[in-house]
Amino acid sequence: MPLVSSIQKFNKRSMRLFDKFYLSLQRLLSRGLFFIFGPLVSFAVFKIYRIRTDNLSEVRKQYRKFLNQDKGPLIICSNHLTRVDSIVQSTFLNSIWGYWVNYRSLPWNLPEKTKFYHSWYFRLSCYLGKCIPVLRGAPSAESKRSLQKMLYILNKGDVLSIFPEGRRSRSGKVDTEDFSYGVGQILKECPNARVLCVYLRGKKHGGFADIPTKGEDFYFKMEMFKPKSDLKGLRKLRDDSTQIINKLHSMEEEYFSL
Amino acid sequence: MMTETQVFDKVAGLIAPYAKNPDALKTLSKDSKILEDLGVNSARLVDIVLAFEDAFDIEVEDEAADEIWTMGDAVSLINSKIQ
Repeated sequence: MPLVSSIQKFNKRSMRLFDKFYLSLQRLLSRGLFFIFGPLVSFAVFKIYRIRTDNLSEVRKQYRKFLNQDKGPLIICSNHLTRVDSIVQSTFLNSIWGYWVNYRSLPWNLPEKTKFYHSWYFRLSCYLGKCIPVLRGAPSAESKRSLQKMLYILNKGDVLSIFPEGRRSRSGKVDTEDFSYGVGQILKECPNARVLCVYLRGKKHGGFADIPTKGEDFYFKMEMFKPKSDLKGLRKLRDDSTQIINKLHSMEEEYFSL
Repeated sequence: MMTETQVFDKVAGLIAPYAKNPDALKTLSKDSKILEDLGVNSARLVDIVLAFEDAFDIEVEDEAADEIWTMGDAVSLINSKIQ
């Protein structure tokens, strides 16, 4: 038994080393090829789809300020309405040059494995676009492995972007009833992480959709947020997640009150 | 002292509001998988574990919570806590 136990421990440790190597390599290749895919994505968003936001320079200035305020781990928590929210968000948050200079500012994303890894070009795009695939309802071991990867990149100083609702909101509004506790889980393991709440929504045809309509003008607002909870364990995890969802909900109410 | 059957019935009652497959509740057994068979959303497992804590006045460690996959797992864990 001790031998089996040692082998199991070695496998777990070597697996973690493999993951670290894999993520480091992914980041290196992503950065190396960013000068090709970065402008392509930017061209597609701004020129082909003509997606815009009124306050682009202000958004980028604010993002730089948040990044430089503190070098600690940063988690971006956004509402989720379209399949390309993370792409739109990334193109708004920083310029191609800004990402090139400070590559940690390009957020890692967590696409659902079954939906985004079905073809080689999706897999390649996700790989180069700094993505960690996650499987909804995955066995405990796989969920933990994904969590370890997220913690690794956060502790390396890279930004992680997640959708705290856990899926696109079918109602078109932040779902304050049936949401995931994933962000609480990450905060439980990485309590010093800062949370940047982002609310983005197309002003013309905002709501649940696969992709935004061409020429969409986006409302984009972000605020730093610190969940406060005296609870412990799973209750804290739930409480932190709920507070973040409520923050996004209040940002949404602010949008609709304009 | 609760019997295993009583614990099982109480657990079933606590899980029922989260089950998206109500038919599976009619044929519930210790082997029923909470996620796959009952159609419980994985995110709701946390709510279910916290419901166990409140209903049975126990504390479930995170590691133990991770090991709850079937009705039998939940009943065994709770039984071990309330003994």
